[in-house]
Amino acid sequence: MLGTIIKKELLNNIFSFRFLVTFVLFIIIVTVTIFILTDDYVRKVDDYSRRQREIENYLGKYAHFNRINNVVSPSQPPVPFYSLIRGLSSDVNIREFDNDPLPVIFPLIDLTFIVTILLSLIALLFSYDSICGEKEDGTLKLMLSNKFSRSKIILGKIIGGTLTLIFPFLFSLIIGLLIILLNPRVLWKGADWGAFGLIILGSILYFTLFYCLGVFISSRHHSSSASIMTSLFVWVLLILIIPNLSPYMASILLKTPSRIKIGREVDRLQDVERDELGRRLAGEKRREIYKKYPFLEEGLSEAEREKRIAEDPDYKKAYLELTQEVGKAWNEANRIQRDKASIIENDLTRKEEAQERLAAYISMISPLSDFTYLATDISSTGIRSQEHFGQIAGQWGIIFWDYSRKKIASLREENPAADVWNTPVDVSDMPRFQYKEEALIGRFKGTLSFFVVLIVYNFIFFIAAYFSFVKYDVR
Amino acid sequence: MFWSIARKEIVSNLLSYKFFVVILLTAVLIFTSFFIMHRDYKQRLSDYHLIKPKPDEPIAVIPPNPLSIFVKGLDDAMTRSFEISVIGVDVRAGQESGNIIFSFFSAPDFIYIVRVVLSLVALLFGFDQVSREKEKGTLKLMLANPLSRAKVLSGKWMGNFLSLAIPFLLVTLLGFVLLIFDPDIYFSSGDLFRLAVILFISLIYIALFLSLGILISTLTKKAAASIVILLFIWAIVVFVIPNLGTLLARQIVDIPSVRALSEKREQIWTREVLLIYEDKDRIAHFQTIHDDMDKLEEDYRNKFSRLIKLSKNINRISPVASFIYAVTEIAGTGIGEEDCLKRDIIRYKNNIFQDVVINKKEYPAFNYRYRSLSQIFVQGALFDSAWLIFFVILFFALSYFAFVRYDVR
Repeated sequence: MLGTIIKKELLNNIFSFRFLVTFVLFIIIVTVTIFILTDDYVRKVDDYSRRQREIENYLGKYAHFNRINNVVSPSQPPVPFYSLIRGLSSDVNIREFDNDPLPVIFPLIDLTFIVTILLSLIALLFSYDSICGEKEDGTLKLMLSNKFSRSKIILGKIIGGTLTLIFPFLFSLIIGLLIILLNPRVLWKGADWGAFGLIILGSILYFTLFYCLGVFISSRHHSSSASIMTSLFVWVLLILIIPNLSPYMASILLKTPSRIKIGREVDRLQDVERDELGRRLAGEKRREIYKKYPFLEEGLSEAEREKRIAEDPDYKKAYLELTQEVGKAWNEANRIQRDKASIIENDLTRKEEAQERLAAYISMISPLSDFTYLATDISSTGIRSQEHFGQIAGQWGIIFWDYSRKKIASLREENPAADVWNTPVDVSDMPRFQYKEEALIGRFKGTLSFFVVLIVYNFIFFIAAYFSFVKYDVR
Repeated sequence: MFWSIARKEIVSNLLSYKFFVVILLTAVLIFTSFFIMHRDYKQRLSDYHLIKPKPDEPIAVIPPNPLSIFVKGLDDAMTRSFEISVIGVDVRAGQESGNIIFSFFSAPDFIYIVRVVLSLVALLFGFDQVSREKEKGTLKLMLANPLSRAKVLSGKWMGNFLSLAIPFLLVTLLGFVLLIFDPDIYFSSGDLFRLAVILFISLIYIALFLSLGILISTLTKKAAASIVILLFIWAIVVFVIPNLGTLLARQIVDIPSVRALSEKREQIWTREVLLIYEDKDRIAHFQTIHDDMDKLEEDYRNKFSRLIKLSKNINRISPVASFIYAVTEIAGTGIGEEDCLKRDIIRYKNNIFQDVVINKKEYPAFNYRYRSLSQIFVQGALFDSAWLIFFVILFFALSYFAFVRYDVR
């Protein structure tokens, strides 16, 4: 019996005008979006390799340890998923003078947009009249005069509706995937397909959620024109308002100290104040050493000093001790000031993280945010991938630090009098940063909570639809 | 006759469930938006007072724009702290850059509500104007009277427009009056005038979607079909075109990424640091850093202006983009205003470099004057408003032609 109702729903939908419009719309929007995004991905890949080349080029000519960290700081390469999902990848760069204002005014659209806005809208457009429309037509009475149980009818309606509507979506995605596959510059690996499968699963859950919601609203109304109003009302609140309000509400509820002020303070601690402290500590050390080796105090020119280091082993030893001790004093100054700065910085970070978490929790009321977080995290374009990038960049930082220490030590050995920070060095043996995506299983585990929220919503709306339909007055 | 039809429309709207839902939605959203964005503005204002530069600091910071309560636009980018140093401009971003959720969703300001929600609402008022009356059979009855079809259509348009515009204006004004009671916020008379212009353009925007709704309604026989088509047009015009247009423009204009630019800057600066130690003439190297960075900047600015111009023209296929361009520029939070501010900051930096680093004078203070309304209108807002009005007239004319040939039986 269930089969009959599903079949009826399928046929009913497939031959309807709105199904045709949906189909055409999906094919146009999905293919155009994927086409443009794929081109943009290729452009980003080119940009990335050009940047890496320039860095290498630079290192070949001007590498020295004074500011090398700023030149070699790791950056995240574009991931192949960019031709489907953009997440946080847009190049806004609010911390640079040449930030890009365009994505702020017009946010990018990608698969997440197509699912969250269009798919949910379509789900409501097909379900708002599923109960009250049949009542208006009078077919609901007829249907129930047969031996159908109400639970079978509502289950059949939901399954039938979902099956028909998922079809145009999947079909247009297949065309989109063909565009991606036919582009020789985009290479998807096994994990990317797995991630894609999970995102499709998420979008189906997201779709059924809204379909159940639509059926629920429909079974609370007796006219379809009222039902569509309520549906759109709920849709606007859930999709267009709650997510956008969430960060603002969080920032009102959990205030954070002024970022700019703290930034300036941290810079002052590690710049002006560090220099003062360093000079003082180094001066003290120098005086101590001078007491020990009074001959160091003679004012020699650089050339004379180099000559003396080469000729007099005692002088060389004393001079090495002096540079080492002064170096240690500066390190000490750096450490003290770094500690002071990290106290206020950590406090800021902690408060900001708390605010961010609150914003994320508030926004999770809306299925749109749940799906957005799910899709961006699984595709390595979201918050999680930024954290992951931060981690591996940090690990690389440690490796680089070891490398640069060894290199500086060897420079010192070669020429103790040299200014090791500002001498050109050969860094062709430097460890290069390599980006590796987080394993799919880790990403999946991280997004489980979003899957669970979507499933719970499905369940709630289904139960609600079921109970209101059971009590529905079909006359 | 015209007014009796308009009156009939208003009265039937007033009694409908649709009207109730729509007004409730509009009121809730506008009040929430005003409340939230007002708090946001106050937080940013108090932050500004904390970071305001002292007279001897070479820092350019402008206070948040009170109109950003209604049109947030790029105000966050514009109110960053631009600190001038020997090598260029160090930038510090404000509170929002510390919470990543902000970058997922756009700001729920007044203009967002109008752009997304009120356009939808206007479509809901228009979608069944003709087809529903035909389904009910009242269209036949109406036309059996000595009424011209033009009058019927324009009466319907006017009635629906008024029943949408009046509550919208009332709610907005009420929300605005509540804002004025806050003594911390000061709107100059110029701001009030700009706000009035923004409100006027919002009304044109609503009229546009109402006309589109009526047009599709005259082209379809069934209200259910009309709403499906309209919602799809809405999704394409409001979301798809403006957002894909910018990406498309990027494909055509070859422009380095922001990241590439900042890496290039680091390289110039680091290179010169090395060279300074080799020949000790510091000022000459600072001059080189300065010149090289300026060259980089100018090249980027030129390419970026080309990108903006092209993307604007592509996006204007959708009147929604025109609406956004017009209102953000008028509020002083748009792309053009941000560009002017940046050019001013570069000028300020160059002055400091000349006066302080080379001529050893005192730091001048940074002052920014927003462009005047007439400049804004000449530089594009006039075209955008005219483009909106053109669409209203076009849609209305098309619906007139369709309605004249409409089979009312």
